[in-house]
Amino acid sequence: MQYILNGLPIGAIYALVALGFSLTYASAGVLNWAQGDIVMLGAFLGFTFFQVMNLGFSVSLCISMFTLAVIGIMVQFFILRPLQKRQAPEINVVIATLGVAIIMRNIALIIWGADAQIIPSPVSNNPIQFSMLSITPQDILIIAIGILIMLILQVFLKYTTEGRALRAVAQDRYAAIVMGIDAERSDAIAFAASSALGAAAGILVAPVFFITFNMGVGIGLKGFVAAVIGGLGNIPGAIAGGFFLGVVESLAGGQISSGYRDAITFALLILVLWLKPTGLFLQKTRQKV
Amino acid sequence: MSKVLSSAKENFLFVVVLIGLVPMVLTNNYYLHIINLAGIYTLITLGLNLLFGYTGQVSMGQAGYFAIGTYVSALLMFNLQFSFWLTLPLVLITCAVGGAVIGIPAMKLSGPYLVLATVGFGEIIRLILLNWTPVTKGAAGLTGIPLPEFFGIKLSSEQDFYYLIMSFLLLGTYIAYRLAQSKIGRTFSAIREDELAAEAMGVPINRYKIAAFIISAMYAGIAGALYGGFSGVASPDNFTFEDSVGFLCMSVIGGSWSISGAVIGAFMLTILSEALRAFQAYRLIIYGVILIFTVIYMPQGLAGLIQERKIRIVARLNTVKPSGRP
Amino acid sequence: MKNKKIIGMILVVLLVGTSLVGLTGCSNTVSQKVLKIGVIGPESGGAAQLGQGQRKAIQLAVDEINAQKLAGEWKLEAYFEDDEGNPTKSASATNKLIQQSQVNVIIGAIHSSATLADMVITQRTGIPQLTAGSTGASITEQGNKWVFRTAVNDEFQANALLKYAKDVTKVTKIATLTAADDYGQSGEKLLIIAAQKEGLELTNKSTYNNGDKDFKPQLLSIKDSGAQAIFMWGLYNDAALIAKQAKQLGLNVQLFGASGMAAQKLIELGGDAVQGLILTQTFLPSSPDQKVSEFVNKYKNQYQEDPIPHAAQAYDTVYILADAVKKANSNKPDALRDAIAKTTGLKLVTGNPQFDDKGNDIGKHLLITAIKGNMYELIQTVSTN
Repeated sequence: MQYILNGLPIGAIYALVALGFSLTYASAGVLNWAQGDIVMLGAFLGFTFFQVMNLGFSVSLCISMFTLAVIGIMVQFFILRPLQKRQAPEINVVIATLGVAIIMRNIALIIWGADAQIIPSPVSNNPIQFSMLSITPQDILIIAIGILIMLILQVFLKYTTEGRALRAVAQDRYAAIVMGIDAERSDAIAFAASSALGAAAGILVAPVFFITFNMGVGIGLKGFVAAVIGGLGNIPGAIAGGFFLGVVESLAGGQISSGYRDAITFALLILVLWLKPTGLFLQKTRQKV
Repeated sequence: MSKVLSSAKENFLFVVVLIGLVPMVLTNNYYLHIINLAGIYTLITLGLNLLFGYTGQVSMGQAGYFAIGTYVSALLMFNLQFSFWLTLPLVLITCAVGGAVIGIPAMKLSGPYLVLATVGFGEIIRLILLNWTPVTKGAAGLTGIPLPEFFGIKLSSEQDFYYLIMSFLLLGTYIAYRLAQSKIGRTFSAIREDELAAEAMGVPINRYKIAAFIISAMYAGIAGALYGGFSGVASPDNFTFEDSVGFLCMSVIGGSWSISGAVIGAFMLTILSEALRAFQAYRLIIYGVILIFTVIYMPQGLAGLIQERKIRIVARLNTVKPSGRP
Repeated sequence: MKNKKIIGMILVVLLVGTSLVGLTGCSNTVSQKVLKIGVIGPESGGAAQLGQGQRKAIQLAVDEINAQKLAGEWKLEAYFEDDEGNPTKSASATNKLIQQSQVNVIIGAIHSSATLADMVITQRTGIPQLTAGSTGASITEQGNKWVFRTAVNDEFQANALLKYAKDVTKVTKIATLTAADDYGQSGEKLLIIAAQKEGLELTNKSTYNNGDKDFKPQLLSIKDSGAQAIFMWGLYNDAALIAKQAKQLGLNVQLFGASGMAAQKLIELGGDAVQGLILTQTFLPSSPDQKVSEFVNKYKNQYQEDPIPHAAQAYDTVYILADAVKKANSNKPDALRDAIAKTTGLKLVTGNPQFDDKGNDIGKHLLITAIKGNMYELIQTVSTN
């Protein structure tokens, strides 16, 4: 149905953000509340490079991803490390990343102002019809690039040393340290990767949804929901969760009620959590005494 | 918890007298308004601290219960002509139900999963308030909420509200303190310290966890009812996700393990966000920096700084994984 | 351990220090003939562009009036507070302005829920409050004599739009797609009433939440319902997105909107998709009217951007106050309030202000405009009396 098809490009965006959440959670055990705002910063930086400084689209994408990766590493270094050294409770870390999110949002407000900005899309926006259904090339591009990025991530995780180190740390941090893996470096890489992912998501989203300084709030929350549905820390789960959320939203909003759409989504989420407390794809670990 | 208010009775009376004298000295309405607001918020943070301190659970959805308190109280006053005081037991009941609604699924959840479930709850409440227009008047909200009356006198000035709010606050603090001292409180502490051991000892953990949620919900509900009379208006804009996050910040910054932490956190952050107005556009940036600093360098919150007591950080699921230099 | 304590102490001192500094307001100036205006609006958060536009316009007006002595012997001073769109913060801001800055009148707020919260305080204190941005009906239905609304009347807009749709566009089935906030909800109600009056069939009524970016589910359900026109009620970001997404879905029906979305940005963001969109507004930046073009030019020179309708309304509000304080020759609440109520004879950017007994400004221009090329084109003027 058209509604399902419509949910896919949105789902791809949610999946990218969810991946960012899952990456940092898996490796560093951190719920990075600023993930949504990283998407926003990526989009704005892309805007500045592309529209204002007139660099090419791909160039802007790359520089933006790189800049945000650096910012991600800075967050890990200046904020996460001190917290880890002090063995801070989990909630403190959440609040710290919340602080980062607030700072990012308001710096963006000062630099780029309160107005919405736009990046023109590299492909057209006119719908193509397949019998009863229609989709635009733009949507296809988002889904395609989204999947491409996810594939690259999978390759990275499976076949590179850093990637495998990351997975080792995610699976069992202590064991990894004992085996000689520098977990802190892994953390930094995880943050860099998830920030770059966020930036990519931002630039992909920008032509479709415009860029505003507070777009991170909504996207962050949705991405978080998607990550949780799939099981936080589970990479394929995040992807599945993202698409699932996109489609459910589309169906609920169009078929049931546009006003209560988010309420329905959240109710469904709570139901999922009740039935599977660690998300759809993660097994609940038995607590060992 | 017992070390927080030492030599109870004398200190308590001293504090009560001190509180009573404040409006005589401080006649500035603006300052009183802020103090009143902080007082209302303290009730919410008290609930949060009880929740966290007892069962280690976190809620990012307290705005939902806060909202239920305001709307239930106001609607009862409008439609059934209840007096403010009569609405309170119903607020408690409604919030208890609300607390159970989240408490039950929450039993099985922890960490970010729990956070998300509570966020979901808060948002569902807000969306209902926003869309159920015939009853809640939607986005425009309720106006002309009646002022509470005390033996026939309408409480209308900042001073009046100060006494009302402080009375509730003292009562709430007292209840929290007694709860901590009681057998129930000690059982809660056992759960927080080591859930598995407590379970092994035969404690019905789930029942206690739900109870903690219910208690924190009731605190927020009473705060809501007070807020309704205090501000005279209510709309879904007051009860957003950002507000829930704000309450949690107050709890953590103050020190989520103690009663004094609840008071300190609520007052400090309420006053701080008003005080930062001077910095205009940089206001929220400074706020964010302060949050980060406090959370890194004062992990037990401001109360931890003042108390300087050694808290055993339970090496459990609650802590962040350690930094990993091999 | 010692280090931690020291850092902690410093932090606590800093916190307390900023609190004390921040809370003390400026002490009073000598009571010459000064009208202190408190301004409250969202300068951060979702509606930041409205609050910032309001602030810029008001500052511009205050500077002009003082420079050209347009308020007689009176000087105007403006004090700005950000309410973040939050009613609780708005009420605190109102309190602060009254207590610390000792303002004589308040312009605020923009969100209806915030304005209502502020009204509780301004009524209790007894000073006039004008809102240049809130459109919620309940604001002027409270019997509050201190409140005036200089924002354009939504009821007139809805009626004009539906009448035009019936008479000129000749549609019979319509749909509404409105924001789920006070602005959108009150607009939805008015649109439905107006549609009924004109005998048009409402085939679909959908809403969206602030911050939503995906309207396709709603648009799909509108498409399925067979509507021939969509009436939107929200801000320009959302309207531009809705228009674009409608086009992407192949939904090519006539789009209608109101003054909340009327800004140059709508055209910039919407591009092709908003061509032909019809909306009502009080303020046409390209109008040959001298007052309008002067305002637009001055604003553009000062701030390097186009003024939005909220800015124009706020600008006029200051001029109304300047006139009132001059005529009353007093900044005392009752005199000021009465002078505002009796406002007449002014020709301003968005109309010729005149307040009815509920405090609504019924003298506003009402223009039906359509987007053509890069600007708004006037297609009909509607009289509001």
